[in-house]
Amino acid sequence: MNKCILILTILMLFLSPAQAEITEDFLVESFLKNADIKKPYIHKEYDYESTDAIPLRIAVKDGIKSEKDLYEGQTVEFIVQKSIYENGRIKIRRGDIISAKVSTVITSGMNGIPASVIFDSFEIKNAPCKIKPGQITDSLEIFGQDRSYFVFPLKWALTILPPTGSLTNFIMGGHVKLNTKKILTLYYHPKWL
Amino acid sequence: MFKRLKNAVLFAAALFILTAQNCMAVEDWHLQNGTQDVLKKESETQLKLTNTGVKILNSNKIDERIVFAYDNTEAEKKLKLDKTLINRQIVVYGYDLKYIEDDNELAAFLSRRIAEAYRSYSGAFNGRLSSLKIKAAPKKYQIVFDKIAVDYMVKAGYNPVAMITFVNKSKVQKRTNSLTENLTSKRLAIIYEYIFTKYPYYLKNNEYFFNENYQNFLLTSQNNRKMLEEKIQSGSKEKLKYE
Repeated sequence: MNKCILILTILMLFLSPAQAEITEDFLVESFLKNADIKKPYIHKEYDYESTDAIPLRIAVKDGIKSEKDLYEGQTVEFIVQKSIYENGRIKIRRGDIISAKVSTVITSGMNGIPASVIFDSFEIKNAPCKIKPGQITDSLEIFGQDRSYFVFPLKWALTILPPTGSLTNFIMGGHVKLNTKKILTLYYHPKWL
Repeated sequence: MFKRLKNAVLFAAALFILTAQNCMAVEDWHLQNGTQDVLKKESETQLKLTNTGVKILNSNKIDERIVFAYDNTEAEKKLKLDKTLINRQIVVYGYDLKYIEDDNELAAFLSRRIAEAYRSYSGAFNGRLSSLKIKAAPKKYQIVFDKIAVDYMVKAGYNPVAMITFVNKSKVQKRTNSLTENLTSKRLAIIYEYIFTKYPYYLKNNEYFFNENYQNFLLTSQNNRKMLEEKIQSGSKEKLKYE
């Protein structure tokens, strides 16, 4: 009798739905399983009492264009254009390299909608003092030429002559072009966490 | 005889009034209790929405006001003006809430809407032009907001894989609306690729691996994931045309 129960239990264990097929994620198995991956930065502690914000002027190290040079996940380097001091101490030096990741590339679209590139994960290399990620602007979006300023009014003006208004749909927005002289601004909040 | 009949009628009337009053009192009591229960539940839901939403705003340093509201109406009554771009108010309807199983999925839903509302602040004419662009190119911005939402979730300490489970179970796979919406399987593949390249930690240590909806996503996204595998192996940087 006991043997019967044992056999039945073993059979039930093997045939139970819990043993149903689990689809493996072959991408994780192939590329991530043995990789050393750190947990991403989480910004859980904050104190926004201070209103101090120091502009941090940067320029891209090498010129880039959104139409061909950029892809998501790419690291782009910027150069600090002006040193930042706090209580007489240098915090960020002119010429320091700030690396950033291309987070999202938004392609240009119809109706003059411009392309844009969102940079994030700004990290100052070899900074004289430690700067926390929470103290610097999280992300920066750079836009191409915005032609929607004239496309939408033109479209509405042409609605009295159908279908000419619809033809404005085909005006595309501009691509993002960043040269080494273009100054971009991030903000450094010395008292934020 | 007449007097007896009169007494009987009066007695019956009194009995009827008393019974009716009692019934109404009991009904009122039930109704009051029911309303209180509903109000209490709505208040709890509202509190949870606000807490999760504000946590995402604070963690991501979103320096514009966005508020959250719970509206317990169903899908058929949902044909109202979307207040996200105009009022910067994120309304969560009862219909949406049905699909949300945990805090991560709630964060996924809210993060997406926050990304949309926040974008309506920047740009010309007090953000009106940005809102117009979002309305003019909804397919493009649907993908953009998905990606930004994943970033918001991670920064606020939520698991971005919940975005996959939430979209997988709540969005239909229709082709008819292809001018305004992306195919859900394409959206899911793009979200997966984004998490895979930017936040692989969450796929390596996947809390959702045994979740039925995640398994269903793995099952239905095999071709798209094979395309991604080939892209990684070849080292290509081209955007994939997911189906």
